[in-house]
Amino acid sequence: MAQISSLMSVGRRSMMNSQTGLHTVGHNIANKETEGYSRQRTETHSNMAMGEGKVRIGMGARAATVERTNNPYLEKQIGHERSELATAQGRQQGLSRLEGIYNEQTVEGFNKSLGEFFNAFRELATNPESMPRRTAVKAAAEALTNDFHNMNSQLNDVSKDINSQLAISVNELNSYSNEIAALNKQIQEVEIGGGYANDERDRRDLLLKKLGEVVDIKWTEGEDSTVTVSTANDALLVVGSTASHLDAVASPAREGKGEGDFDIVYYHNDYAQPITLSDRIQGGRLGGLLSVRSGELQTLKNDMDRLAYTITTEVNQAHGQGFNAYNQTGVMFFDHLNDPQGAAEYMKVSSHIASDSGRVAVGRDPHKPGDNRVALEIAELQYAKPVFGGSQSIDEFYNGIIGELGIKNQAINRQVDVKHNIVTQLNNLRESISGVSLDEEAAKMIEMQKHFDAAARLIRTADEIMETVINIKRY
Amino acid sequence: MRVADKMNHAQVINNLNKNRSELSKFQNQAATQKRITKPSDDPLGAARIMESRTEIQGLTQYEKNILSTKAFIEFSEQSLGEVGELLIRAKELAVQQASDGASGPETRRMVAQEINQIFKQMVNIGNRKFGDRFLFAGYNTLQAPFDMTGKYHGDDAEMEVPIDKGAKMAMNIPGSKVFLGKQIGEPIGPSRDIDPNLMEDNSPPMLPSEALRGPASLNPTQQPTDYWGPKAVNIFSTLEALEIGLKTNDKMAIQSSLDFLDDSMSQINLARAELGSRASVLNTGLDTIQKLQVDSKVLESDIEDVDMFELVNNLSRTQNQLEASLTTSGKMIQNSLLDFLR
Repeated sequence: MAQISSLMSVGRRSMMNSQTGLHTVGHNIANKETEGYSRQRTETHSNMAMGEGKVRIGMGARAATVERTNNPYLEKQIGHERSELATAQGRQQGLSRLEGIYNEQTVEGFNKSLGEFFNAFRELATNPESMPRRTAVKAAAEALTNDFHNMNSQLNDVSKDINSQLAISVNELNSYSNEIAALNKQIQEVEIGGGYANDERDRRDLLLKKLGEVVDIKWTEGEDSTVTVSTANDALLVVGSTASHLDAVASPAREGKGEGDFDIVYYHNDYAQPITLSDRIQGGRLGGLLSVRSGELQTLKNDMDRLAYTITTEVNQAHGQGFNAYNQTGVMFFDHLNDPQGAAEYMKVSSHIASDSGRVAVGRDPHKPGDNRVALEIAELQYAKPVFGGSQSIDEFYNGIIGELGIKNQAINRQVDVKHNIVTQLNNLRESISGVSLDEEAAKMIEMQKHFDAAARLIRTADEIMETVINIKRY
Repeated sequence: MRVADKMNHAQVINNLNKNRSELSKFQNQAATQKRITKPSDDPLGAARIMESRTEIQGLTQYEKNILSTKAFIEFSEQSLGEVGELLIRAKELAVQQASDGASGPETRRMVAQEINQIFKQMVNIGNRKFGDRFLFAGYNTLQAPFDMTGKYHGDDAEMEVPIDKGAKMAMNIPGSKVFLGKQIGEPIGPSRDIDPNLMEDNSPPMLPSEALRGPASLNPTQQPTDYWGPKAVNIFSTLEALEIGLKTNDKMAIQSSLDFLDDSMSQINLARAELGSRASVLNTGLDTIQKLQVDSKVLESDIEDVDMFELVNNLSRTQNQLEASLTTSGKMIQNSLLDFLR
């Protein structure tokens, strides 16, 4: 038996439903530009029907839930791909800096000074008596050692840059971990009461993606709606509502020197011993930077040291056997180096030669100003094969470095492009599901407005009926 | 497919970025005229450019070396030409004085004076300098190789100069070889006191002073019959023997010196021929190097320079693309249902 009062309450609830719907539309429009936001929908359920037998009358609808439209698997995949993109970008950033140091395509660089050094000896061989040509040899050698020092300090700059980025990234990472831990708590509180923590979940999804861009992470959501996040295999970053922290500390090599590398360490809790993660972090921007630091950068530094050491020892060996203008023998051309370690930094024209180019030894016999055999021998080192056990000449070795850097950069650029495309595509897919469309919201808004109008009309009709009923007695 | 507003915007931004970065790449190529501005643009190409540049750098130095070596050799050759003329003059005089028809002790004494002058001129030529360096002193380039008695103070070394990758060329002929006949062949003719320290291996044997007077052909030990190669003559002692012969009015000695003068001339000619052939090797080398330089530059340009036609084509294509993107993007972003609701 339908009651007029229940008709009114159906209308009233209906009005409330459409208001809830409008509110959600408003929320969607407001959050159209919010990063990581998923559009929300008000779900209405029809109320239990009243009456008996064949006459069961619907009792209108109630707003049951406000849910976000979201595909969690897609979100996880995006997180994964964004992490890989960030790894590639970290490597790209480091490698392109290194490429810049070795780029001689448009400017003259190390390769030219290397050639000029050997050419100076060739020139000296045509006129071994000439002081100006000896001075030219000295100048070319000084230019070469300068270039070694420059390259070395530029490589160190890249290293410093990477280290300072590590320190900054760690702070960023810790703030993400903290916020995720806080969100874990909020979500748990909301959802334990049966609701949906839509906005908090959106935010947490976004932070997980951002965290994955810093380091490679693994995460799972537990029964209690909280996520557990770990990095570098087994270092737990977030468990429930607590977050553990990473820190960038001076590596043993850096200790007390102010230069050298930072290590990334992990504190399980405030009192725990730090655990070094630098070698275990594989992905994210940190992983990319760390891999360049311990890989290519280290290799290049070793290569330059090796090159400087080879040139120093080979030239010294030939030069030491020669006689100079004072008929002295055994004079070193470069300062003696004990081993390749740091050779690019310490390589130096010996002070004897630097102060007096008459001490450049050109001949193999004393008292023979026209003897040019030592100069010839040194000039031939350019094409001889003394680097790395004789497999490569100095030229080939250096050009090989450039070729290899080029190939690595080309590969990483391509990888970044590919990953970037994948991420773009996945993002499109996500927006297609979760993104806000103003057209859609506008249509929904009109729909809700009409709904509201109709519900209001229903109440008025009920009111009129009621009045009719009340007025029956007067006639 | 459901299209959310963010997708549109992301797409628009993405496309515009793509167009613009492509345009900037081509613009950069147009400005530098280079296809490769960093190794990653074309790693193999970049490495080859480096090789080719090193190659050109080396070739430029070799070209310089060849030019200075050539100058040294040409000057030596010219000096030896003068030596040849002096020897011809000495022979003319010796021929005149070899018979009694036109000469007697008096004329011979006067001619001896001229031979002495020739001797001195010869020493001067032997001490000739190119810049600061003595031409005929071996490695001992800063000290005059001959003293006024014709004694040699240089050494037997030849200064080798790099003229190409792995190729060297001697730029000098030591005076011991040209003037003293060392390292040339079987020593013949009159010898003289020479510092034994400076004449180690195949130095001419010390001959007894009587040999100054007899013709060489009379002494079978001096000219072995089975030897036909170049003969090594000490030009200074030949001239000295002639001078002594003239002074002492020794007709036989004068006659025998004729043979030695001939041998001296062929010794000089041999040295000139050697220098000449070196010069021609250098000329060929110079041509090759200059051609290689051009080849390397062409190769470098082929690898790193842009193809202008292609570039202009690419530029206008990307420009059009960018315009199309901008036009369509403008329309796509503007339209919204809200514009049609009143």
